[in-house]
Amino acid sequence: MTDAIQVEGLTKYYDGLLALDQVTFSVDEGSVFGLLGPNGAGKTTTIRVLTGLTRPSGGRASVLGFDMAREAVKAKQRIGVVPDISNVYEELSALQNLVFSAQLYGVQRSERRTRARELLESFGLWERADSRVIHLSHGMRRRLTVACALVHRPQVLFLDEPTTGLDVQSARQLRSMVGDLRDTGVTVFLTTHYIEEADQLCDRVAMINRGRIAALDSPEALKASVTGSRVVEVAFSRPTVEDELEKVPGVLEVHRLGDRYRLTVGSEADVFGALVDYGRAKGLMIVSLNTLKTSLEDVFLRITGSTPVPELDGAEGHRRNE
Amino acid sequence: MEIGSLSGALYVAWKDIRVYYLKAPNLTYGLIMPVSLYLAFGVTGRMNPETLISGLVSLVILFGTMSIEAVAVVMEKQTRTIDRLLVAPLHPMDLVLGKALAGAFLGPILGAIVLVPLSVYAGASVANPILVFLAIIVSGFTFSALGVLVSSYARWTPEAQMYSNFLRFPMAFLAGTFVPLESMPPFMAGFARLLPLTYSVDALREAMNFAYPTATYLVDMTVLTLASALLVLLSTWVLMRSLD
Repeated sequence: MTDAIQVEGLTKYYDGLLALDQVTFSVDEGSVFGLLGPNGAGKTTTIRVLTGLTRPSGGRASVLGFDMAREAVKAKQRIGVVPDISNVYEELSALQNLVFSAQLYGVQRSERRTRARELLESFGLWERADSRVIHLSHGMRRRLTVACALVHRPQVLFLDEPTTGLDVQSARQLRSMVGDLRDTGVTVFLTTHYIEEADQLCDRVAMINRGRIAALDSPEALKASVTGSRVVEVAFSRPTVEDELEKVPGVLEVHRLGDRYRLTVGSEADVFGALVDYGRAKGLMIVSLNTLKTSLEDVFLRITGSTPVPELDGAEGHRRNE
Repeated sequence: MEIGSLSGALYVAWKDIRVYYLKAPNLTYGLIMPVSLYLAFGVTGRMNPETLISGLVSLVILFGTMSIEAVAVVMEKQTRTIDRLLVAPLHPMDLVLGKALAGAFLGPILGAIVLVPLSVYAGASVANPILVFLAIIVSGFTFSALGVLVSSYARWTPEAQMYSNFLRFPMAFLAGTFVPLESMPPFMAGFARLLPLTYSVDALREAMNFAYPTATYLVDMTVLTLASALLVLLSTWVLMRSLD
């Protein structure tokens, strides 16, 4: 399999501050690659370098074999870019925005409107084709931004935080679109701080923290790399004190997540009884008790020592119950 | 399919015309200040109509194109729509060229709005309308490119407007618009020769007075063209540095 993207020793300073530190990775053609990390980790800077928006301070990056320092225009002809905000022209209509993108990317005049209509229909925007963008909802603008990036049928699509701020339905639609694009052979490079998103969509994930790649592998391989302790999630009828919960025999670590407590334990079997005893002693009823599979979040926590990020859509868990 | 440099620039220009230029407030703003100056200086009747009108038309083009283009780039930076242009397969210079071309399009519209009724009213003659039209287009491009330079440097709209006024107002009074260069002290006349508006006023005056392109007209047009090229190059450099 050939590489669609190659990055070697990429370094970027902003006003003397190190934003990227010797970042190296490659992305297989036709795969979905995720760059996962907290805000300010270097995700957007990486995308800006790869799309020719920013010049690196050191190292090199190539997209589809074109060096971004010397052949950026050739690479740009073949890539689509969806930034972290919807940057469509508010004064133009949805259709005008798409036609303008088609013009910029050299889509044949005879094909521009047909392609624009095709995209507007597939993104559920055809009925609003002539509406000025200023009158469209946030979700519609986001979909239009993605449509604009696809108008010239790019070989590589860059998505920077594609679902941030979207409602659940629009976010799911976008994720489904990423899967469809991969099926048609498009290479997708996405940055996200939603762990579950990276887990669901990506063939390979790079974890970036403070400008450095902390880990890089397939999601399953990353999860398999974290061994040893197990994780149990418990919810009581009312809140309890984390410090006291940490003293329960077999509990190594406690993290509170809303009304639940995530416990890192030596053995699930030993801790179940102890938790029941703890609840009885404190007058608490156990509402739920689950053992959890290792997630990408565990990997992230293990590698970076920090809690990465919010949960996906605010509703979906970022761990799977066993 | 790859697009040519000029095609890319023209698409950007047409987009700018629709997004920023063809709006009533934008068109009228370019007229208010120069017309006020005309009323202040022109009603005294101490200047001949051709001199006054050529100065006024140049001022209208300066205020109209520069005030819009001075915010067009900075607003695109603020809304990040500029990223959309920069990730497209365009050379950054095509982008700058497209923005300046939008100003060149607006110049003749504003110029005609002022030139035609005032010439009729004041009984001024236009010796060669084609040379006048060419001077208006080249002046529009130059002033628009100056606006792009200001806008590429500024980080937010008020800053761009401040720089824009800083350049426009001294030009309005020192470029031979209302006071002929010949009546200025030598150091002021020398300074006026550094201002693009001086050459615009001069070229228009020549085209209104002579039916053929005079040597002065050709020199004026050459200076404006060279100034435009320099401004486009400088704007591209400043824009790319501001985004890095």
